[in-house]
Amino acid sequence: MNKATNIFFVGKGGVGKSTSAALTSVFLAQKGFQVLIVSLDPAHNQSDIFEKNLSDKPFQIAPNLLAIEIDQEFWIKQYLKDVHNQINKTYSYLTAFNLDKYFRVIKHSPGLEEYALILAFEQIRKDFSQLDYLVFDMPPTALALKFFNLPSLSMIWIAHLLALRQEIIQKRELITKIKILKKEFERDKVLKKIEEQRKQYQTLKDTFEDRELTQISLVLNPDKLSHAESIRILKALQDININLYRTINNKIQINSSCADFNDAFSNIPMLNFPYSETPLIGIDNLQRFLKMNDDQFEKQLRKELP
Amino acid sequence: MNPIIKSIKDRIISIWKISDEVARGKAVETIEYELEELENIFGVLVLGSFIGIPSPPMQISLDLMPFMEKELILMMEKVDTANEPISQLFSVLDIG
Repeated sequence: MNKATNIFFVGKGGVGKSTSAALTSVFLAQKGFQVLIVSLDPAHNQSDIFEKNLSDKPFQIAPNLLAIEIDQEFWIKQYLKDVHNQINKTYSYLTAFNLDKYFRVIKHSPGLEEYALILAFEQIRKDFSQLDYLVFDMPPTALALKFFNLPSLSMIWIAHLLALRQEIIQKRELITKIKILKKEFERDKVLKKIEEQRKQYQTLKDTFEDRELTQISLVLNPDKLSHAESIRILKALQDININLYRTINNKIQINSSCADFNDAFSNIPMLNFPYSETPLIGIDNLQRFLKMNDDQFEKQLRKELP
Repeated sequence: MNPIIKSIKDRIISIWKISDEVARGKAVETIEYELEELENIFGVLVLGSFIGIPSPPMQISLDLMPFMEKELILMMEKVDTANEPISQLFSVLDIG
């Protein structure tokens, strides 16, 4: 049973997604939860924030807190290698197509970036299912939305391909029947694969839509640009039936407020992260900041923590 | 049974079998062509990105590709007759 809760941090570039993700994971770890923070952002700010050289191997940052950075390139290469090996295994006339040439180009294809993130996400959910929280520091808006959109978009294609494949199989069976061929048809491998894909994307879609399993935090700053983009993110996610779990108003200063901007988010729980005078770099600074604002966070989060 | 009658009976049976086979072959000729076209469409649809046609998300194509050798070969064959679809259709429908 996969019990870990996913917490995603999305938002415009520079609003403080990585810092908010780091603060949240340190906060949860301090409360005694087992937490893994995962950087899915190719810019990989978590290494800088925690001042550690993070990699795809889990690194213990603090008690209860592990950190990982996902190497997108590695996942793309690994995936293409698997497909290539499978083709080598199943094709008998490989040389006629000269597929090697294509595979060298495919790795630059649009769409593989977000799929690499999806593959990494699935693997992490499998490997760290025993933890309490998986905190994901997401890439900026465009790639993050493509990531969430991938299962829904793929399902549309899968539905059409499935219908077409079933028609093909039906015709094939009809021919076999009329010709009274004794040949037993083995189960169509393409159909089997399409059905497998459908299952995979449905599971992902369900995971993203399930608020018990996935919490999406939208980070924004008290400025018009980040607010405008945040509304676009909210709408884009709503289009694919994914709801925000909370907004995080980051870098709030004493005389600034997000109140003017927050009409669109009035129904979504809000968390305020005050502006920090000292840069929030290093576990000590993060812990100090949390301690300074402990009452506030405690009050805001108490209702949510199990 | 009289050997002559038996031989006539066997002949009739064999003629019946052959004509049945021919008739069945004829009956599915058009469906077979349709099936081939459908398989080609499926191939073009899934692997279209290789020939510059809008295609599904890359990972759907790549995941299916290992099982689509037949479609790939068919697509290659279809390229030869792609210039004369009408004449190909006429030959399938046995016109002219």
